[in-house]
Amino acid sequence: MQTTIKLTVNGRARTVEVDSRMILADMLRDQLRLTGTHIGCGTGNCGACTVMLDGRTVKSCCVLAADADGADVLTVEGLYTSPDDLHPIQQAFIANQGLQCGYCTPGMILSAKQLLDANPDPTEDEIRHGISGNLCRCTGYHFIVESIQDAARVLRGEASAPSASITGLPASPATDVAG
Amino acid sequence: MITAELQFHRPGSVAEALELLARHGDDAKILGGGMSLVPTMTLGLARPEIVISLNHITELRVIAEDAAAGTLRIGGTARHNDVIASPLVARHAPLLADAARHIGDMQVRNRGTIGGSVAHADPAADYLPALVALDASVVVRSTRGERVIPAAEFFIDVMATALAPDELIAEIRVPSQGTARGAYRRLTRVEGSFAIVNAAALVRPAGSGASVVAIGGVAGAPVAVDASTAVSAGLTGSALAAFEDAVRAACPEPFEDLNGDAVYRREMAVIHARRALLAAAGRAAAGVTV
Repeated sequence: MQTTIKLTVNGRARTVEVDSRMILADMLRDQLRLTGTHIGCGTGNCGACTVMLDGRTVKSCCVLAADADGADVLTVEGLYTSPDDLHPIQQAFIANQGLQCGYCTPGMILSAKQLLDANPDPTEDEIRHGISGNLCRCTGYHFIVESIQDAARVLRGEASAPSASITGLPASPATDVAG
Repeated sequence: MITAELQFHRPGSVAEALELLARHGDDAKILGGGMSLVPTMTLGLARPEIVISLNHITELRVIAEDAAAGTLRIGGTARHNDVIASPLVARHAPLLADAARHIGDMQVRNRGTIGGSVAHADPAADYLPALVALDASVVVRSTRGERVIPAAEFFIDVMATALAPDELIAEIRVPSQGTARGAYRRLTRVEGSFAIVNAAALVRPAGSGASVVAIGGVAGAPVAVDASTAVSAGLTGSALAAFEDAVRAACPEPFEDLNGDAVYRREMAVIHARRALLAAAGRAAAGVTV
């Protein structure tokens, strides 16, 4: 069964025709070509597919795309405007090597944003609990925690953003193929 | 990837949802937060022909108090984080927020709903013993009318409840804790996973009703053990030992799985019931508000 939904993705109004079986993560990746949202387990365990839905993090493998009608979705692509203008959390993950293979990183960054939005000065324990819904099989989490601590200092205005760039980012995340 | 074809509905009102349920009954599945249903569909373990989402019915997400009746009314699609953050829940049923803080992880608490958890009725779900200890009721509605079912009767067995195929959970109704004090304890190996056993205690002051500990993860439905005698005896050695024996007797055949055999689970139930009871009694003695 096909159904039409209207939603906002990274600040842009979208009208998308989706199969009612489709999960939100697949819609973002396959129909909007926003492939920063990764799918790991597909069953709500790993957190790689974390996006923000109406300002709160959710696992987009556990949300039917058809159910996102009217929603405001933020993906990792919505955090930056150009590769030279990354979000402080993205910059901190690069500067602190808060990743190895990078698969969990987009979800990790959005969980960090959720945490820091609500709690600008978290303890290490609060950070570890805040990212408990995101599994990383490479790093042992230590550099991820340091990245979030670093980003928190920048967002609180206590430190300047580290100079950080990375290869392979789409030049302009707002211009993708669909819709 | 969900492979089974399905018809998806997103009604905007309870009345519309009830009409759909009345028409499709057994072939339909209600979708709350989807934290259990969507992965189950992805795994092919559930293949509903019709999915009816409650996520577009704003009236179902309201948390309100009924001051005259002394009850808290939590809409079926209130998210776990709504429950945790609600000043009304903090005032009337802090035990419920205590339990909700342990559910899954941030993403799950952001999306998952109290009605979904109650309808799914996983025997180790965090809400279940808290609802039984609080003497809460599940308010279910269909086009046939409304039923108010005590939590102790609603949960029947593993993922089996008193909910009929044409009914949905409209509300969880919780009597205000008042001067009673609660505490929740759970055993788990990894943060974010379901409890192996869990226990919710509610200690009521003398003369204002029974004190109780409800235990999950040991049987198909929460097991309630009266703790009034132990509480009135000051939770001293022999009274506490008698309470622990009552917990053992109430868990004759606990589940056995990779997380533990029956003997281990029974003893863990005893330990967590005791810890919850002592914590709740400590709060009652200290006069703290949660």
